[in-house]
Amino acid sequence: MITFEGVSKRYPDGTVAVDHLDLTVPTGHTTVLVGSSGSGKTTALRMINRMVEPTAGTVAIDGDDVRGQDPPVLRRSIGYVIQQAGLFPHRTVADNIATVPQLLGWSKRRARERSRELMDLVGLEPAHSSRYPHQLSGGQQQRVGVARALAADPPVLLMDEPFSAVDPVVRAGLQDELLRLQAELRKTVVFVTHDIEEAVKLGDSIAVLRPGGRLAQVDSPERLLAEPADDFVESFVGYDRGVRRLSFFPARDLPLRSDVIVGEGETAAVAREVAATTGEPWLLVVDSRRRPLGWVSADALAAAADDRDVAELDLVGYGHIFTVSTDSLRAALDAAVLSPAGRAVGVADDGTVLGAVDQTELGSAIWAAGSDDDRSGTEDGRG
Amino acid sequence: MNIASEVASWFAQPQNWSGSGGIPVRFAEHVYYSVLALLAAAAIAVPVGLLTGHTGRGGFLAISLANFARALPTIGVLTLVVLGMGLGLTPVLVALVALAVPPILVNTYEGVRGVDPQVTDAARGMGMRGGEVLARLEVPMAMPLILLGLRTAAIQVVSTATIAAYVGIGGLGRFIVDGQSQQRIEQILGGALLVVALALAVTGLFTLLRRWVVAPGLRRRAAASSSTAS
Amino acid sequence: MVEAVRAALAFTEPLWGWAVQSWQWGWSNFDDPVGPMLAEHVLLSYASVLIGLALAVPLGVLSVRYRVVYPPVLGGVNALYAVPSLALFFLLLPYTAFTPWTAILPLALYTLAILVPNVVDGLNQVPDHVRQAAVAMGFGPLRRLLRVELPVAVPVIIAGLRVASVATISMVSVASLVGLGGLGGVILTYGFARDFAAPVVVGIALSVALAFATDGLLVLAQRALTPWARDRGPARRGGRSARRRIPGTGARAREEAAA
Repeated sequence: MITFEGVSKRYPDGTVAVDHLDLTVPTGHTTVLVGSSGSGKTTALRMINRMVEPTAGTVAIDGDDVRGQDPPVLRRSIGYVIQQAGLFPHRTVADNIATVPQLLGWSKRRARERSRELMDLVGLEPAHSSRYPHQLSGGQQQRVGVARALAADPPVLLMDEPFSAVDPVVRAGLQDELLRLQAELRKTVVFVTHDIEEAVKLGDSIAVLRPGGRLAQVDSPERLLAEPADDFVESFVGYDRGVRRLSFFPARDLPLRSDVIVGEGETAAVAREVAATTGEPWLLVVDSRRRPLGWVSADALAAAADDRDVAELDLVGYGHIFTVSTDSLRAALDAAVLSPAGRAVGVADDGTVLGAVDQTELGSAIWAAGSDDDRSGTEDGRG
Repeated sequence: MNIASEVASWFAQPQNWSGSGGIPVRFAEHVYYSVLALLAAAAIAVPVGLLTGHTGRGGFLAISLANFARALPTIGVLTLVVLGMGLGLTPVLVALVALAVPPILVNTYEGVRGVDPQVTDAARGMGMRGGEVLARLEVPMAMPLILLGLRTAAIQVVSTATIAAYVGIGGLGRFIVDGQSQQRIEQILGGALLVVALALAVTGLFTLLRRWVVAPGLRRRAAASSSTAS
Repeated sequence: MVEAVRAALAFTEPLWGWAVQSWQWGWSNFDDPVGPMLAEHVLLSYASVLIGLALAVPLGVLSVRYRVVYPPVLGGVNALYAVPSLALFFLLLPYTAFTPWTAILPLALYTLAILVPNVVDGLNQVPDHVRQAAVAMGFGPLRRLLRVELPVAVPVIIAGLRVASVATISMVSVASLVGLGGLGGVILTYGFARDFAAPVVVGIALSVALAFATDGLLVLAQRALTPWARDRGPARRGGRSARRRIPGTGARAREEAAA
């Protein structure tokens, strides 16, 4: 556990980077410090490993004031990842990763072995070990940066905007990788970013800092989106926070209709009857393996000859689908909005259709989620 | 007889190759003064450049002093020391060291200052102490510039060491000075060619040295795509 | 405390004595050797640098336009740089005798090793989009060079001129060995030959002062010629480019000269 107690940083010229910060970072969790530039988020992070000394207050790790330790010794027990990785250009990937083990006096062999393990852990091919940083892509360099920070297996990992210099696709991949690593390693991670999306995706809790270095709100991502403490946090998390918050609610409770499904090989006459009994303007046509083929409208059925196979009629694309067991309400809503039929197709893990849900039913589910503030929602619905 | 063949025949005369005034001895003297001056200059300039570059303190002062030294007329420094201490090796060395310190100092300082602050930040953040940052990071990364500074200094020293002849301690300048007083153009040219050859040798030596001491990761072109660049 | 000051004064007394003596000598002899020699020093060094610049600009422009030209040009000027100045002075004597050209020609050739790479770097610094915009607006090659490319290259060229002028001013003195060295003449004829330190100190001091004054003039010239660059430079603290440029060093230029 890392604790900030009344921590301030005031520079001699009078600027205040961090102002009376009280914050607890629980062990084994990812805490994201988020804020615009000038909010003191990086300064706060750098106080943990004494790259910056506070002018007031105490930073403690597991109850021990960090000022009680020699900075270099302290830092060797804390992983540190920065923007653009800060890799040493004159040393190979393997040597970069082995930096802290070497500082700690590990034997060459043990350090090399550890390098190999970590490259495997962060998804780097062994062939990269003898390369130099400039021979790697930005994403690969960042992986080396993470591996280097983890080399001595520190319990605490500080990450200062580590993914902000790579393109969005690579960034998303690195974020997923970090989630996977964290699920496995359970480090105490302090992550600094200016990107609220990234914070919501990665954080177990999020601390929003306002310019001038004052803490605006600390909460779980879902509660931050649901109940911003004030106008500043609300504007910071963005106008679409309501929609984004839906990613914390699972889709599995949605009422799926399976009576609107007709199989390939059924005739138009049969399908017309289904449409009539259900009163639905759209039916979902599936193939023999119950994979979606497309939507057929009641109007198209009315115009079709009785014995036509529904699969041969003019089908409307089903857009993208959501996986019922793992996706969130947000994914389901997205699928419905993008579908020409205004309905989202839910599938099982094996891709077979379980049923469809229309926007009205989605609306009720969203309404229910919005009024259901007791649940934390963080344990599921992600990823 | 044209001038090229006169120079060639000067080089061909056996008496120019023997004795205390022969080419080998003069060449050795020249190399000796040059190496001595360069080593002394490096012993002053490299540590000062590393320290000021590493701490960021005193950099302005060091650079200003280097610029001042750069503006000093070598002949003046030489004369002043000769007047103070008499003829001999010391005045030549003082003048050559004053000449060699500025490029080494400035390049070393800039080499260290030029290390990406993100990289030093990462190094400190991982727990390197000041000395470790300097030794493991800043020195290897500044090495290309330090070598460049040493090479610039070496070429200037080699070319300027000809003035050693004026204070009576030989070197290749002897051929130039004597050639002038004896009105033998081929001898002036011969001496000048020997100095140029020495300067070229210095350039070659530093190219080799660069290959030897500059970390392969810093030689970007060499390792473009092969995975086993070693 | 008083003791320490007294000891320091006693220790530095010869130095003070020198300074006073030199000042007196320089002042009382300003009309005869010092003033005219200083003027000669200015003439020799400025003429050398200007001629060097007049040669370096076309060489640089050619090297940028026709890339194959650059390596041999660079190799040539660097080889020239390694030739001892003394030898060049002596070799020119039979042709130019004791005219100023004997000093100016070699010194001008030396400046090329510094100036040519700087002209090339300066021209290469012109961003491609700027060049293309100039073409798109209908600038011909010559007008583009004069109106767009050379102005953008001015700061780098002046950085080279600063290094070249300081180097040349300190090197002029060597020409006194062939009787042409400006302040070097004061040093040799009045100092060395008469075993008298004051003229040597005066010669060195004036030479250094001239170098610094010239450097200052070039800085002012740059500010006048590049009004658009005035507010930038050191303002961006911590910026990588700002960090690398230390005022008044010209270290980059010097490295290039030796490259």
